[in-house]
Amino acid sequence: MTAPFEFKQSVILLKSTGKKARTLAELRDLIATISEGSIFHHTYQYFLKGHILEYTNDFSHWAGESIEESVLAERLSNLDPYDYADIAQLRKELLRIIDAFRATFPEPREALPRDEFFFNEAVTLVFPAGIRARNLAEFLMAVKHVDASSLYYHFYDSRIRQGGEKNDFSQWFEQELGKIGLAGKIHSVDPFMHSLEGIRDRIAQAVEEEVTQDMESAGIMP
Amino acid sequence: MMDEYKGIAPKGDLLLLRKLGGVFAGKSFLHVNSTREGGGVAEILHRAIPIMESLGIKVRWEVLTGDAKFFDITKKIHNALQGHPEAFTPDMWAYHEEINRKSTLDLGADCVYIHDPQPAPLVQRREGGTWVWRCHIDVSAPQKDVWQSLKLFCERYDGAVFSIAKFARSMPLPEFIIPPSIDPVSDKNRELSGREIRDSMDKLQVPLDRPMLLQVSRFDRFKDPIGVINAYRLVKKYNDCILVLAGSPATDDPEGAAVLNEVKEYASGDPDITILLLPPFSDREINALQRAATVVLQKSLKEGFGLTVSEAMWKEKPVLGGAVGGIPLQIVHGLTGFLVHSSEGAAFRIRQLLNNPAMAKRLGERGKEHVRANFLITREVRDYLSTWYSLVNPNKNILEL
Repeated sequence: MTAPFEFKQSVILLKSTGKKARTLAELRDLIATISEGSIFHHTYQYFLKGHILEYTNDFSHWAGESIEESVLAERLSNLDPYDYADIAQLRKELLRIIDAFRATFPEPREALPRDEFFFNEAVTLVFPAGIRARNLAEFLMAVKHVDASSLYYHFYDSRIRQGGEKNDFSQWFEQELGKIGLAGKIHSVDPFMHSLEGIRDRIAQAVEEEVTQDMESAGIMP
Repeated sequence: MMDEYKGIAPKGDLLLLRKLGGVFAGKSFLHVNSTREGGGVAEILHRAIPIMESLGIKVRWEVLTGDAKFFDITKKIHNALQGHPEAFTPDMWAYHEEINRKSTLDLGADCVYIHDPQPAPLVQRREGGTWVWRCHIDVSAPQKDVWQSLKLFCERYDGAVFSIAKFARSMPLPEFIIPPSIDPVSDKNRELSGREIRDSMDKLQVPLDRPMLLQVSRFDRFKDPIGVINAYRLVKKYNDCILVLAGSPATDDPEGAAVLNEVKEYASGDPDITILLLPPFSDREINALQRAATVVLQKSLKEGFGLTVSEAMWKEKPVLGGAVGGIPLQIVHGLTGFLVHSSEGAAFRIRQLLNNPAMAKRLGERGKEHVRANFLITREVRDYLSTWYSLVNPNKNILEL
């Protein structure tokens, strides 16, 4: 019997670590020592902001906007946090990128007062959205209307829970519905290039196509 | 009460509020501040408490009372914490503490939120429950001796809450970031009919025949009203428009009258500039002005959170703001508004918006959704209760409800 897909959603409560960096050197030293929760927040949870700008994490955003180092911002933006098995490795890569930049380029200017990099972390509250889908058609209805934070939880956050291999949606399509093609299609949506609403549209479109195909195969549609 | 927000606040916020209500129903929650009327804190409490009560939480709001001497001292503490030097003597601290110690407030509750520095020493009388110091002001660059004295009390709380990360100070306790919010169903932000807007504009003698640029703020140099007039004059060379500067008299700001006179003098001779000195609690008029405006400015040079930005964004107006205080959290540059750094920059963006209504509409629509997701009172109450939940479940980064 197919287990239904239970939509959950998450909300973050922001916490200050009290640490801030005015210069790139300070940023580097703090990245080396700050809590794993803080690194996690400034990279993975960037997607919760819901806007897609030129950056893909808070460090690249600060490099581009606050100390105006475009090269560093571009390099940091290309970092894919899901490539790393744990935060320790991600931290190492952040440090490598910054060290390589500092070895080649002159030291950037200081950020203006109050434009420093403020290291935060977050408490994540997870709760059921009260929506469940038993089949693909129900899933399609649900995904069009669930809260954006639910998309974040199942599309982004789940990759960390599942070791970067899968998102919850793909997992369910594959394991419960046997839809390996659809699972792959959803998993290949570039998580860095769309807002949460953009992700919603792409998932809905792919699922709708699958539902239509199923109906055609079953002879329900001409 | 929660039903009023249905269809307005994000479903997820309402759902989580109900979940947290399920956890805390029947428990008691106490807010303590130092004024029942006037000021942003009292305004938030008036709106937040009914929401908390509707979740089944027993909420009380107590006000710490003191004499003129006490409030003179706390005003100085307030100024010094925000970086304006003040002279302090040990007697003043002793008096501050004494008023708190002698107060007869009933402080028994499962969760106690103490707002701002005035009642901070009440923590010495804590008997049980979770105690949170909610700091609404910017203490990032305080007068050092004043912070050192106040910190002795703050560190005795279970947690602290600041409005934005850059306002916080490092202390050995969990520090949460909870931005302030607007209430979408209050008189200041609720929907108004076209008729209501026209009536208010008639009353205020503001014409509706041309595009209106608007700034709503106290007459304070940090709000840069002269810079706004300069921006308007640059725009006026290309686009016919009017400018409205609206604010209430700040009774606690002796400079306010002087700034108002400067502004009036600077604007004199231009019939298309309207300066409105509105009485306190002119919420309906401010709502109507914001809804009648074509472009809204908050061209501050220094700012607390700057909630007038969210108020205007909620009304789907394109907003220009100075990149200070909490404004960059509200204005995502180019997406939900524009951040500007000079009168020239403001003028250029205003001209863009007046000449490209589709762009203005797009920014306004996105701005409203940004406020809906981040700056409504339901989110602020959600965060207060989440903070309580986090503090009673310490050392956990993920909490399932």
